Amino acid sequence: MSLTARRSPTPRGLRRRRLRGQIGWTLSGLSVLLVAFPLIDLLAVIVEKGLRALSPTLFTQVTNGISGGLWNAIQGTLLLVVGALVFAVPIGVLSGIYVAEWPRSRFAGLVRFVADVMTGIPSVVLGYFGYITMVIGLGWQFSLLAGAITLALMVIPYIARTTELAMLNIGHDIREAGSALGLSQGTVIFRVVLPGALSGVLSGIMLAVAISVGETAPLIYTAGWSNYAWNGSLVHAPVGYLTYVIWTFINQPFASAHALAFAAALLVIALVLLVNAITRTLLQRR
Amino acid sequence: MKNSRLILIASLSLAAASAQAAKVSLLETGSTLLYPLFNLWVPVYTHLHPNVQITTQGTGSGTGIAEAISGVAQIGASDAYMSDAQIKQNPNIVNIPLAISAQNINYNIPGLNKIHLKLNGPVLAGIYGGQITRWNDPKIAKLNPGVKLPAHKIIPIHRTDGSGDTFIFSQYLSFSTPSWNNQVGYGTTISWPAVQGGLGAEGNPGMVQASQQNPYSVAYIGVSFTKQADQAGLGTAMIENRAGRFLLPSATTIGAAAAQLVNKTPVDERISLVFAPGASSYPIINYEYAIINKNQASPAVAQALRAFLTWALSRQGGNAPRFLNAVHFIALPTRIAQLSSKQIAEIH
Amino acid sequence: MKFPRVQTVLTVIAAVIPLALLAILLFLGSYAWPAIRFNGLGFLFKLTWNLGNLYANPVTVAGQVVPRGAQYGILVFIAGTLLSSAIALLLAVPLSIGIAVFLTEAVGGTLRELLSFVVELLAGVPSVVYGLWGYAVLIPLVAHQIGPFLRSALGFLPVFAGSVGSGYGLLTAGLVLALMVVPIIASTLRDALLHVPIPLKEGAYALGATHHEVVREVMLPAVRSNLVAASILGLGRALGETMAVLMVSGGALNYLPHNIYSPVTTMAAFILSQLDSALTDPTGMAVRSLAEIAVVLFLISLLVNLVARLLIWQTERRSRVAHG
Repeated sequence: MSLTARRSPTPRGLRRRRLRGQIGWTLSGLSVLLVAFPLIDLLAVIVEKGLRALSPTLFTQVTNGISGGLWNAIQGTLLLVVGALVFAVPIGVLSGIYVAEWPRSRFAGLVRFVADVMTGIPSVVLGYFGYITMVIGLGWQFSLLAGAITLALMVIPYIARTTELAMLNIGHDIREAGSALGLSQGTVIFRVVLPGALSGVLSGIMLAVAISVGETAPLIYTAGWSNYAWNGSLVHAPVGYLTYVIWTFINQPFASAHALAFAAALLVIALVLLVNAITRTLLQRR
Repeated sequence: MKNSRLILIASLSLAAASAQAAKVSLLETGSTLLYPLFNLWVPVYTHLHPNVQITTQGTGSGTGIAEAISGVAQIGASDAYMSDAQIKQNPNIVNIPLAISAQNINYNIPGLNKIHLKLNGPVLAGIYGGQITRWNDPKIAKLNPGVKLPAHKIIPIHRTDGSGDTFIFSQYLSFSTPSWNNQVGYGTTISWPAVQGGLGAEGNPGMVQASQQNPYSVAYIGVSFTKQADQAGLGTAMIENRAGRFLLPSATTIGAAAAQLVNKTPVDERISLVFAPGASSYPIINYEYAIINKNQASPAVAQALRAFLTWALSRQGGNAPRFLNAVHFIALPTRIAQLSSKQIAEIH
Repeated sequence: MKFPRVQTVLTVIAAVIPLALLAILLFLGSYAWPAIRFNGLGFLFKLTWNLGNLYANPVTVAGQVVPRGAQYGILVFIAGTLLSSAIALLLAVPLSIGIAVFLTEAVGGTLRELLSFVVELLAGVPSVVYGLWGYAVLIPLVAHQIGPFLRSALGFLPVFAGSVGSGYGLLTAGLVLALMVVPIIASTLRDALLHVPIPLKEGAYALGATHHEVVREVMLPAVRSNLVAASILGLGRALGETMAVLMVSGGALNYLPHNIYSPVTTMAAFILSQLDSALTDPTGMAVRSLAEIAVVLFLISLLVNLVARLLIWQTERRSRVAHG
């Protein structure tokens, strides 16, 4: 082994090796700082500028030109997230269960593989797909449904994979015990295994929520943008969302628009943090 | 807990929806130059007419035209009029000028930003084409006798996103400089000649920021951003018009250029105002258009559109100085406003 | 009526995932098809992206109606995509190794939890917020501090010489992308390091190795294939990133970067920022050519992810064989 060849018995050699080790530890500590510092600065900038723009009316009023509130964007973001989950949770969770429970089937292998690969598809490509097929092709125009389905396409693979992992964490003995009791396969999966894996499954769903809250590129050409609160229609009416405000309003020649952009950034960050915190609690309870 | 909150949100939205049943919703999308003006208009107008909802989006002129054609938006905002080929494909779409905009040519030369350097089309085409590379080039010196020009390399900055600003700037170069017209031409995104040291920037804020941070740069920036350019300490160039005079953009010079082309404006109002004749005409101005489908989905929508656009044109409404001055736009000449009114009346 | 078997129902639902992938490929591909035929292979190798004269009457070239003078080449955007991702990886890989080692070996308990949280948070920050921060903080920093410093320190290398530019460009894009990629690589690597078999480490200690030597010569080599796979996953993320890059890269048309400060455009950013201009083309060829970029980007990310996943699978199987 190469270690022995380089081993030097003299104290000088040992000192040099210790020094090398110290340099190594310093460098790795430095990498942590190098990455932590921008994050702290990012949070500080967003919180500082965002707080200055924050007011109660932000949550009650809709965007009025380049001022007003963000209620339409907050509501739209929530609606898009809920809309995406409506499609993504059943498909994602059930696919994940399928892949976990029939791991040896060739089709399950394909599903798992494609899901992994799909997490790598750039979100702007999905947005373009949504624009061509739903906004134009199906004539839905900029709409909640087009935005929500595009987001769902993005997060289904994540939910499927986390569900699979959570299901696999439940030992085989539990499944066998269920079968021994004469329970049907479906009962074992949905009444015995799934409840045990619930916190893992939920953390996957929370990850999907965090992703949906923060996305911009797939929504610009599917959800559009609206200055108003949702009018209840799924198609033919655009919806607002927070990330649009960040992206568009920072490009306006008015200070009030910039303030809204930073306020929206603060809200997005706060939402993501909240979701992260919920996920951690979920996982710790397990 | 979470469920009950969702139900609450849903029921609130439904209640809001039924209360708004009689309302008409309009979607405006397109030009990022017009976007600030629409954002100033809409709160005032919807306050006066609470039965109308208007959403504004700054997506770019191309999107504005495309979404007006596809029916996604009722108002497409555009800095450029539609081409003949587009009109042939979509005979129901009309181009209605709402106001007049212009463009500044800004530069950042330490020590010279307080004076107004003189530039013309061929010189700008030379700079953006890579033939004129230094500020003390004889061609620039000839336009600015007595000015001590630095020997520094010029950094031309252009927009990289599709933009109406690129459209009218490249039109100015094309109309004033035949070689530019032959080699590059004009459009919202053009094939910029590769210039060593040249920069691209995203949006007008990006243009202001890039020219501020790069001494010896030159940039074309929409008049809505005049305040930002001034705050950044940039110089504003005097630009040579067709009559050979060097002018700054102002209400007078922009108005003069528009007046020159009033009689040439056809009934469909598709015309370029760039490089207008006349001694006091500022050369880089344009109509800001609303792109509208004459055949709307319902009479209520058509009625709401006509009412809003009519208000937007009126000197007491959208063309009042309180709106236009904030973005440095100019009101439409009376005859043009009349042509626009005629086109508005065709919306059904 | 017999109740359908659970397996059947679940199989049908799971089929949505591969079908979705197929649909994306089919719809994008067929939409882009006229452009693929018009552009040919030159699409990938030409420098010039020119929409042509949109106000003149369209002409017919090779059976396709296009604006006069139109030609679509995306070499500039391919270069911008690859170079910015390369810079991101060059920075992110060593940083991630340092972070993963620090988290697994240097600290424990609360501090480890806290720092792991910081890394996870980094992954949670939305792209557009990175863009906003890049625009407000990083661009001035690169233009006035980082850029001039690099030029004076490394200016003897042509890549770092020349004009520092506006702060918008390759370097800033690479820096932002590095921040976004670090959590992907670091967290995968941390998990792998935590699973290095204890006997392997103990053996090295028994031979008299210092703690850092164990890390350097036993643990890191043991997780090398995890590192490669995680880096490729990170690469996939960097290649497809849109908003953050769009807001800081400056955007280059028709020229390749000449130094690390040059403006660049990536494929993903170009698709988003140019759809508007492309829509002004009455023949529709520009929009279809953008769809063709989406297809190319799709295929590249497919390939990258395929390689990464195969590597991960292989590693997993090998470790299963070794321990199981």
